Amino acid sequence: MITTITILIPLLGAILMMLLPDEERLLRYAALGVAAVPLILAGYVFFAFGDDLGVAALSLDVTWIRSLNIGYRVGLNGLGFGMFFLSALLTVIAVLASWDVSRNLKQYFAALFVAEVGMLGVFAAQDLILFYVFFEITLIPMYLLVGVWGDENRRPAAIKFFIYTFLGSTVMLAGFLAFGILADTYAMNALDGGGGLSRTAQVAVAAPILFGLLVKMPAVPLHSWLLDVYVSSPTSTNVLLSGVLPKLGTYGLISIAIPLLPQGVEPFLPYVAVFGVINIVYGSFVAFLQPDLKALVAYSSIGTLGFILLGAASGNAVGLNGAVFQQVSHGLYSALLFILVGVIAVRTGTRRIEDLGGLAARMPWTGGLLALGALAAMGLPGLAVFISEFMSIMGVYATFPVQGVLAALGIILSAMYLLYMLARVIFGPIERPAYEEIGDAGPAEMASVVPLAVLLVVLGIFPALLISIQRPAVDAVLTVIGGS
Amino acid sequence: MTGQAFVALLPELISTGFLILVLMVGVYTDSNAGVGVGLAAIGTLAVFGSAAILLATGFSGSFFGDGFVVDGFALYFKLIVAGSAFFAVIAATRWSGRTGDAPEYMTLILSVVLGSTILVSMRDLFGIFLAIELVTIPSYAMVAFDRSRRESSEGGMKYLITGVIASSVLLYGIVLIYGVSGSAMLSDVADTFTGTLTPVAVLGLVLMTSGFAFKLSAAPFHFWTPDAYQGAPTSAAAFLSVGPKAATFAILLRILLEGMPGAAPTWTAVMAFLAILTMFVGNLFALRQRNVRRMLAYSSVAHSGYILAAFAALQGGGVAFAVQAVLIYTAAYAVMNMGAFLVIDLVGEEAKNYNGLVRTNPGVVACMALFMAALVGIPPLSGFFGKLWIIIAGAQSGSILVYIVVGALVVNTVLSVPYYFGIIRNMILEEPTTDTVRSKGSGAVRFSVYVLAVLTTLFGLLIIPLSALVGASGLA
Repeated sequence: MITTITILIPLLGAILMMLLPDEERLLRYAALGVAAVPLILAGYVFFAFGDDLGVAALSLDVTWIRSLNIGYRVGLNGLGFGMFFLSALLTVIAVLASWDVSRNLKQYFAALFVAEVGMLGVFAAQDLILFYVFFEITLIPMYLLVGVWGDENRRPAAIKFFIYTFLGSTVMLAGFLAFGILADTYAMNALDGGGGLSRTAQVAVAAPILFGLLVKMPAVPLHSWLLDVYVSSPTSTNVLLSGVLPKLGTYGLISIAIPLLPQGVEPFLPYVAVFGVINIVYGSFVAFLQPDLKALVAYSSIGTLGFILLGAASGNAVGLNGAVFQQVSHGLYSALLFILVGVIAVRTGTRRIEDLGGLAARMPWTGGLLALGALAAMGLPGLAVFISEFMSIMGVYATFPVQGVLAALGIILSAMYLLYMLARVIFGPIERPAYEEIGDAGPAEMASVVPLAVLLVVLGIFPALLISIQRPAVDAVLTVIGGS
Repeated sequence: MTGQAFVALLPELISTGFLILVLMVGVYTDSNAGVGVGLAAIGTLAVFGSAAILLATGFSGSFFGDGFVVDGFALYFKLIVAGSAFFAVIAATRWSGRTGDAPEYMTLILSVVLGSTILVSMRDLFGIFLAIELVTIPSYAMVAFDRSRRESSEGGMKYLITGVIASSVLLYGIVLIYGVSGSAMLSDVADTFTGTLTPVAVLGLVLMTSGFAFKLSAAPFHFWTPDAYQGAPTSAAAFLSVGPKAATFAILLRILLEGMPGAAPTWTAVMAFLAILTMFVGNLFALRQRNVRRMLAYSSVAHSGYILAAFAALQGGGVAFAVQAVLIYTAAYAVMNMGAFLVIDLVGEEAKNYNGLVRTNPGVVACMALFMAALVGIPPLSGFFGKLWIIIAGAQSGSILVYIVVGALVVNTVLSVPYYFGIIRNMILEEPTTDTVRSKGSGAVRFSVYVLAVLTTLFGLLIIPLSALVGASGLA
């Protein structure tokens, strides 16, 4: 029940936003209040039920369409809880980071909250059709967030985003339906291990599901919608676009494709790992070539998504734990970097890397946090990303050694472009006289980035906080797939 | 007439009564629009209410020598017809009041309601033909009713000519079927249409199907649709694309399942062919339209194709799901398409009228966006459930040809995104221009749009259980 309430509160919040008078301060504070509620509830779940998420208080199972055995089935487990919490957190951060949105503020927050309903729902759904419904609920608000509030290039970007991801998810739905028809239910707990499907049937069902999930992520050959969308979006939308949306795909891979279709996914796993390597290497190389700071961060974000694929493909405890963990740490660092890029762009009026320089002198906090985020992205020990990337590589090395070695080399590439970026933007002489005048991040901006930085450090030092929650669920997956 | 038969005919008797009443109002009062419209609205609601009561009490039976049947299936479609007629009456209020012909127009709507409610209960091929004519003849007049616009007469004329040809083709097919089986009763026809069909029987089946394809605007018999819907008054286009069309699908389903179950391999193949062609033609032409009304006309062709895909799945293990798919899809299409047409009534029919509309009319824009998303099939809106059931029925049918049809449906769903979302883009993403229209029209129309938007959104909670109820009882 608590889970359902958490999912529905943003919906009520969206309605509330539309009813409030059009007054900026009121709207911002009300939105912050609404966004805080799911976060508080998710925090309560963490402290009250952290050691056993399987309790009845968190799940709900109502038959919806009897003839098809489709139900409103929600519940939390260790695979989804981290992202469930992070979705709630990043919505609060997105509200705080919405300083660059001034037009149609109430509609903006309403769309943000409808998207939050879908995001929270995906990580709690325990029924394939319900998962799909939540998956698609994010689509229209995201389309609007990019298309209405983005920069001058927003319209084609928004349409491209919509058509690509809709195509992917339609194919995924076809896979889900075939699966449900063959197994005669859509309840995930009844489908564990393949729901009685033969190996051939599992492969046939897994292929469209994997395709849809990889488009959503996006895995590299399927990523061409991404750059325009990321670059055109307002900062606060970037937070969700990079922090949560790709995880809809990876979470589907880890909690649906792998445990529910173990034999069907198996032949694809080496290629999933190859996709992971391609993401890391391609993302790093292309990031190196970007003149635009935001595009650099976007490609860096695609790159490190590859580690989730690697860990998921490994099929062992270390790798899977790393993949589930990397979903959260990737969300933390990429949201942090996107917000800081937004702060810099507002101050200096440009995102071109060669026009920037020496910002640390005028913006010590922003510069310092940018350095922290960049160091996290390149996997510096002591920060959360290191833990999860290291675990993913260790896991995949045991199963697919070649992919593991190549991915490890990819980390070096990421260090190259990130250090270059830091040297160019933060350090060195002040590039332009105008930069002498700019000030550091303000209170709202600091409030939106400091929690992310703190969590990156805390989870880097105490990874057990998250791993202890996810381990039982990962062990359950391993039992199903017969790994160790 | 026994008491039972009287109850069974309640929806038809009520619509006949109100039809006469509204006509008399038109004759004896001097262009008194208010009374006529009010009576018509009450009449459609009364038909709706009587059908709902019959459905709720589980009334069923067969009357007049088995020629007229009342079952859950028929009553469900009577609800769709009467419900959509009510919204058509609301939409016609302002416009027909201005021309001073309100009672006449309302009489036509009520005649179509009468014909459609009779149609879904018929079990006799000639009775079916008569009921179809009772639906189509008033609808020619409805399309041509707006004398202030030249397109209206043009659309009406095109509709009339093709409609008459379609009717004669349909009648010819029915006569051949009658000749082969020696009876026009569906139960007797079923005895003849088994095993290998004689050439004459096949010819009869093909001609009858072609006649229906005309009425349902299935390609390649769809040419009248864009002109008729573009020319017709908005309320007429909205109603004809939804209510009578649902009734025609219903009776086609009854004919095929009750009258020709033995010939299923033949007609499912025909339906599969029609479905694929209709989907692609509808969507590919809709992509090119700048006029929203014309776009929705082609969209209605495409949606006929989707429903025909359910007909193709009436085989193997897919029969029960396919019947339910037709029930769900017609209702889903009724709420979302009716809503979209009512928005046209409020805003205008040129795509550029919608530019930047969100600045002035956020409520209407939100509703229109919901209708467009529902027409694409985005969950959890109404259209999604229709497509979901068709895909499931197709998957259960166990026929390769139907799998191809389902594949075409998925492809077409993606193909339809640009034109539906083009409207959303115009409304929300574009800047307003001088062509942008401030939403006009009466509060009643606006209210109807909101009601339909709620129905579209909560379809999964409100109408799916209803259709499941009917689907369980099935065809009596």
